Amino acid sequence: MSDMGLLRSARLALLAGGLAAGLLAAGAAKAQEVIKIGAPLALTGGLADEGKKQDIVWKMWVEKVNAAGGLQVGDKKMKVELIEYDYQSEGQRASQLAEKLINDDKVQFLFAPFGSGHTKIVAGVGERYQIPTIACVASSESVFDQTFKHLFGTLSPNGGMTTAMVKLFKEKYPETKTIAVLGRDDVFPKSMAEGIAKAAEAQGLTVAYKELYPVGTMDHAAALSSIKATKPDWIYITGYTQDLILARKQMQDLGVTAPIVTMVTGPSYKEFTEGLGKLANGITSSSWWHHATSYTGEGVWPTTAAFYEEFKAKTGGDPDYVHGSCAAAGEVIADALERTGSLDKAKLRDAIAATDIQTFYGPIKFGPNGMNLPRELPIIQVQDETIKVLAPAAIKNADMIAMPK
Amino acid sequence: MAIYLQTLVNGLMLGALYACLAVGFSLVWGVLNVINMLHGSFIILGGYLTYFAWHAYGIHPVIMLPVVAALMFALGFALQRGLINKVVSAPVLTTLTLTFGLDMILYNAMTYFFTATPRRITLDLGAISLGPITLPVDRLLGTGLALLLTLLLYAVMRGSSIGRAIVAVRMDRMAAELMGIRTDRIYAITFGIGALMAGAAGVVFATIFPITTNVTGIWLGKAFVVCVVGGLGSVPGALVGGLVLGLVESFAGHWFGPQQAMTAGFLLMLVLLLTRPTGLVGVKGYE
Amino acid sequence: MKPLPLYASLVVGLAILAAAPLYGDNYVVRTAAIVAMYGALATSWNFIGGFTGYPSFSTAAFFGLGAYVGALCQRSGVPMVVAWAIASVAVAAFAALLGGILLRLRGHYFAIGSIAVVELCRLIVSSWSSLTGGGDGLNLPLVQGTPEDLMRFFLMVMLVILAASLLVTILVDRSRLGFGLRCIHQNEDAAAMVGVNTTAYKVAAYTLSAVFCAAAGATYASWTGYIDPTDSFQIVLTVKVVVMALLGGAGTILGPAIGAAAFVLLEEVFWANFIDWNRAILGLVIVVLIFFLPGGLLSLRRRLMPGGAA
Repeated sequence: MSDMGLLRSARLALLAGGLAAGLLAAGAAKAQEVIKIGAPLALTGGLADEGKKQDIVWKMWVEKVNAAGGLQVGDKKMKVELIEYDYQSEGQRASQLAEKLINDDKVQFLFAPFGSGHTKIVAGVGERYQIPTIACVASSESVFDQTFKHLFGTLSPNGGMTTAMVKLFKEKYPETKTIAVLGRDDVFPKSMAEGIAKAAEAQGLTVAYKELYPVGTMDHAAALSSIKATKPDWIYITGYTQDLILARKQMQDLGVTAPIVTMVTGPSYKEFTEGLGKLANGITSSSWWHHATSYTGEGVWPTTAAFYEEFKAKTGGDPDYVHGSCAAAGEVIADALERTGSLDKAKLRDAIAATDIQTFYGPIKFGPNGMNLPRELPIIQVQDETIKVLAPAAIKNADMIAMPK
Repeated sequence: MAIYLQTLVNGLMLGALYACLAVGFSLVWGVLNVINMLHGSFIILGGYLTYFAWHAYGIHPVIMLPVVAALMFALGFALQRGLINKVVSAPVLTTLTLTFGLDMILYNAMTYFFTATPRRITLDLGAISLGPITLPVDRLLGTGLALLLTLLLYAVMRGSSIGRAIVAVRMDRMAAELMGIRTDRIYAITFGIGALMAGAAGVVFATIFPITTNVTGIWLGKAFVVCVVGGLGSVPGALVGGLVLGLVESFAGHWFGPQQAMTAGFLLMLVLLLTRPTGLVGVKGYE
Repeated sequence: MKPLPLYASLVVGLAILAAAPLYGDNYVVRTAAIVAMYGALATSWNFIGGFTGYPSFSTAAFFGLGAYVGALCQRSGVPMVVAWAIASVAVAAFAALLGGILLRLRGHYFAIGSIAVVELCRLIVSSWSSLTGGGDGLNLPLVQGTPEDLMRFFLMVMLVILAASLLVTILVDRSRLGFGLRCIHQNEDAAAMVGVNTTAYKVAAYTLSAVFCAAAGATYASWTGYIDPTDSFQIVLTVKVVVMALLGGAGTILGPAIGAAAFVLLEEVFWANFIDWNRAILGLVIVVLIFFLPGGLLSLRRRLMPGGAA
């Protein structure tokens, strides 16, 4: 008996300790004087860089909102509290933390993390608890076709990116006949690879090569050699920054080139141009937002320039679309609170669905699936190691050039 | 035809890099009977040291090679001396779990200090064309360096007294002890050499692949495959294993598409595990 | 361990978990469900890793395959619980076949082979996109009901899986199979010589180590409603489960489950308090464990009570 007693008490103490901590946390979070937004973030692990971008702009936004007294809810102003947890780039952890945010921290809104896959996971939890989830870095329509009623995305559908790009490039380089596509087998990069092949075929191009490479590929020599053999006019590669840096480097090594080389969404990130240096020149891409745009609207940053200046002052670098889209996600919440004037869950959800605002990031208006409506998205190109905008015409600041030899 | 030649050359160059990456892992496994889960992080650590020396002070990677090698040897020697030696004769699970725990610490520290941003040394030395074949200069240099390092290790193992002691311990630990060899010391030196080779591979890799903590697991996986394919604990084993894996990935990627390239490598490993556990050129008694 | 205290602590442990909805909010209930899930995974691993002494790293393969088989069944209209059953049986059959081939290997080679299985499963599932959706992953029909009800439901299911795995562990421990497995652990060749059918026994242990993992995986898939290859076949999951079993005490009946509970609770504490360094701290715990508690938590009894029955 004696040793069993000890064992049992140790076991009890262990469980009870953990559970007591949970109870305390639950007790502490009862009075609701602030607006709480929960964000499971990848601050460590493979997606850490992306997670940190979200972290920076959300903190900027919250700071600015609170400095102005808070958000307008009915006749009073309420401060905003942002609660973040690191999910270490692990999906299972992300859903667990989303649940913790809702149950323990009693958040009224969720910000979804980077990437379509993890957005799906977090949105699933939000849906179950009927907590509105704003996704600022998920653009695959497959994420938004699950009939979730509480998921809203500030990026426009990536379907729009491909058709416009084919059109522009054909206009610029009418002799473009064939395209080679190499895509990463992951939600977003895969849908872009498939989208471009479809759009290219629809506009009369021949798809000379189309393959996916699995997550974890560290050598593209075989695929690139096969692409080289097809002598395409246009090479289109999708993947994460590290994949694209490697692919571009190996293209150079193996002498694989084409008049047009597109890497999605490589040049949207400054890590890409920094990592490649001169090799980045000439590479085109799509993006959802660029700081060269000049939108005006409501919220803490009245113009794109205002956001750009403040971001630059704070971090010393240029914001990319992740920064822009995520900072704008806060405005969706601010606007919905102002219009409903209460914290009622169902009313807030309906108010968000009816969002129709102008922001520094551009217009935000959700379609029936919860995604921001399609708009003309920037097509960008690296020229002299800086990002130039080729289209749409309103923000165009350079003409397209062919890939340097 | 040209495409096959190119695929062959791609595979051989990749294979030499794989061999260089795996030889230290194989040595530690063969001699100490320890699966070193730290190996992938050692490679990336070597890569980071090279990158920061180049980025901050403009030191050329070739100059960094001996520096990184010495540092990594010291790190490996100290780890083995201080920690791993204490459980070196414990079952597989114990040593594997221990090195896994150590890897979590090293990985966390690297992500914390260096972030996960992929880094790259932009030497970009261009390419040489031989008829229809293109040879990237830095890959060629990397291949040469990898082969040189691997052969150097082979020479040390064969020619020096330390090397002969290591081989003796691998063959028969008891007998080696009776002959007056201090196995603890030999173990620490071997682990140090393992870390040194990982670090050296990291220097070579830094000029060719993006350096980021995201890929530590991928390189570790390659080391596993190479060891099983070639056979454990010997330099020629790692060399053969690396070249075979490089060729298999290259040709599978060409014929079946990049999606199947990695699958082919793992399948090859599984088949060899079951049919020829000593590997293609393995030593009997290590299965 | 004598039967009575064993059963008593088992029942108390399960009761503490089952009662989570009474004393905790949804997050506590969720943590209890995760404890139960990892408890089941670690207890499963114990059959092959603890009793038999084969360093298996296949857990994530069984878990992920279970999730995928369950998800595919549910998507083609099979009721949820039936889908879980199909997943368990199918993966058990797969494990039996695989075991017949893989268990010829020993020591490090078996360890490598079993890790390779995880990676191969991930690659195959990810490239067979016509069936599995590839890198897009699969959506499952969301289970209807309030979050509280759902959470309780999944806690109960995970507890049933855990209880079943523990029950089978006790049965195996008392049976000829358990004896044979321990013989193989001690000395496989000797075991074969005294008439233990080592191959059949090892395959049985390997299959047992798969069936509950598959059930947990299928349940987990229904619970989250979305699965993808990268998250379903994680090497980290495999190693974590082994560490849990070692933490509690490999080869004992309750050790792995206790180790899982301790590990999950520790993880919670570190995650909540040390954002930047939680992985390193966990690594440190593993290292300390290896040096100071090589027999697992259960060995504490012996240490603290010299003379107490071991």
